[in-house]
Amino acid sequence: MMKTQKVLTEVESKELLAKDGIPVVEARLARNKKEAIAIAREIGFPVVLKIVSPDVVHKTDSGGVRLGLANATRVGRAYSEILSSVRQAYPGARIQGVSVQQMVPPGVEVIVGMSKDVQFGPVLMFGLGGILVEVLKDVSFRIAPVSKRDAGEMIREIKGYPVLDGYRGQEPASVTALEDLIVRVSEFVEKNPQIEELDLNPVFAYPDRAVAVDARIIL
Amino acid sequence: MSDDILKQFDPVFYPKSIAVVGASADAMKAGSYWVQTLVSAGYRGPIYPVGSRGGSIAGLEIYRNIRDIPGEVDYVIVAIPSRSVLDLLDDCAAKSVRAVQFFTAGFSELDTESGRSLEERMVEKARWGGFRIIGPNCIGVYCPEHRVSFLMGAIGEPGCVGFVSQSGGIAGKLATNGMARGIGYSKGVSCGNGIDLDASDFLEYLAADPQTRVIGAYLEGTRDGRRLFNTMREVSSVKPLVVWKGGRTEVGARAARSHTGSLASSPSVWSAVLKQAGAVEVHGLDELTDTLLLFQHAEHWQGARVGVIGGLADGGGGISVSAGDACTEIGLEVPPLSDQTDRALRELLGEVGSILGNPVDVSQAQFRGFPALFQAIETVAGDASIDFVLIQQDVDILLPMYSRAGLETINDFFIELRGRLGKPLVMVLPPGPVEQERLRLEQKLLAASIPVLSSVERAARAIFNVNTYFRRREIEAGQRDAA
Repeated sequence: MMKTQKVLTEVESKELLAKDGIPVVEARLARNKKEAIAIAREIGFPVVLKIVSPDVVHKTDSGGVRLGLANATRVGRAYSEILSSVRQAYPGARIQGVSVQQMVPPGVEVIVGMSKDVQFGPVLMFGLGGILVEVLKDVSFRIAPVSKRDAGEMIREIKGYPVLDGYRGQEPASVTALEDLIVRVSEFVEKNPQIEELDLNPVFAYPDRAVAVDARIIL
Repeated sequence: MSDDILKQFDPVFYPKSIAVVGASADAMKAGSYWVQTLVSAGYRGPIYPVGSRGGSIAGLEIYRNIRDIPGEVDYVIVAIPSRSVLDLLDDCAAKSVRAVQFFTAGFSELDTESGRSLEERMVEKARWGGFRIIGPNCIGVYCPEHRVSFLMGAIGEPGCVGFVSQSGGIAGKLATNGMARGIGYSKGVSCGNGIDLDASDFLEYLAADPQTRVIGAYLEGTRDGRRLFNTMREVSSVKPLVVWKGGRTEVGARAARSHTGSLASSPSVWSAVLKQAGAVEVHGLDELTDTLLLFQHAEHWQGARVGVIGGLADGGGGISVSAGDACTEIGLEVPPLSDQTDRALRELLGEVGSILGNPVDVSQAQFRGFPALFQAIETVAGDASIDFVLIQQDVDILLPMYSRAGLETINDFFIELRGRLGKPLVMVLPPGPVEQERLRLEQKLLAASIPVLSSVERAARAIFNVNTYFRRREIEAGQRDAA
């Protein structure tokens, strides 16, 4: 029998994560242009708009993401453009609207994920974001529950660790904040055994904190 | 708790009597092999062959049914086809046996519904009959101290290394490699499909067993990954645990499924699990035995700084350079020696044709006699900036130069030095054209607690493994003290 999977949207995923104290960039759902502009005003410009649809897997590739929108006019225009390009890329996709979130400053991009292993249950994964994880598979694993020390080892184990440790005069990213985030994610997946898969991609790591910019949970 | 577990496993590793089911007067039958094996091991308790046709083997009467045996039976070795095992287990229950080991194969590893359900019924019968099952699809236990073995012929000296293997073939290899390389075993077990007692149970036992100081494991998979992880974490917090995970590739994993019925996790997950549990992961039989050998001779390890000595006679230049590479690449330190050592070496060996840093090439000593050679080695070994000494000895070069008597003198010096050095000494004896002489020296050094390995690369890897374990233990102890 095939297990039916349910993919939570970014808005739903982040709500669950935030409730358990995992730092996320809050994303609020706007069902139309007017709502998008109102939320953007509330959050403060610049903002990011992303398509919210359970059927859209590659949000960026389908033109479903717009960054750095500095005022209401741009938010309004971006809303229409996102909807039309996603409808073209995914005809028939169920579209709930767009998510509106703060445009956070750039940090070192990392990913934190969880998948289930047939023998060991939930396995946490850590890696640098982007090409390093996709091409070089430069990632580390630990099974839940992940202790603070395990998390520290996961972070320092990857080959790309120097990038986090202050590459070329950059201020180092906070390993403590990342450790804390990994431990919280581990606790979160242990508490919610119905979660089959989880991706925080990317997480932005800063010198003093780390925050999940995008998130996806599969039940 | 640990007394309980020791008592529970007593009939497994120290059985007072053993029945072998499937024996016959025909020496070629599997059951007959097991009778011969126990006889050749010198097992001291009663051996009761059991076979439906009766008769005798090795001067022992063959009973037609296990119920006919006059005395008590602790341990049963089963070598009959899988279709007859359920009836046999009823007989075992009636006879109040304590443990039953199945050499018999043909269960869940066939990946059939009937194989799996047969295993389930066997476990039910064991629970009901109050005995434990080892296997099926395994060669059972090895306990030189009690003269129980799964090997025909030599049994080996008892020692402090315990092992668990999901494969019988690798259990056998571990035992024989141990005999050849001076590894003494406390206990070993091949647990096959592990339907009742599995790898976790045996690891728990070995952790509690006072005879066992170091534990090796060959694992292909597990039915309860969480339990295995928790067990490994507990075990490695009290004793070094060295694990070789078989079936790391897709091809290997496919083979493992039909071998021991194990499901596959990705190799990276296994590596993570082993690291997280504090176990030392190795990648083959050679690395496993090398590492167990070093642990056997290391109660604790002082650090990762190695002093490398090559070229006891000639040809030491390249060997010293490559030894330095091998150690450093694996993550060991090869630090410069003190000025005092440097001056002493210059005086002893001269400047030309030697490498007097670390690694040290002492080959110039060939022109200055044994006293200079020994003093040079002792100076390096005693240098405070190194934690242990790695010496490469090329028997093929030394033998024609110094003859057998000279080799004896040199190795007597190493043994004497080891006794008073206060830091570990590891010897590399590369195989070559004078193999017999090399093997003789290897046995001589092993008998004096000097571990011998066959290449600098293997030695460096094993030293690194031992270091990794002890460093982690130290960090954990530090964290406990701080908490």
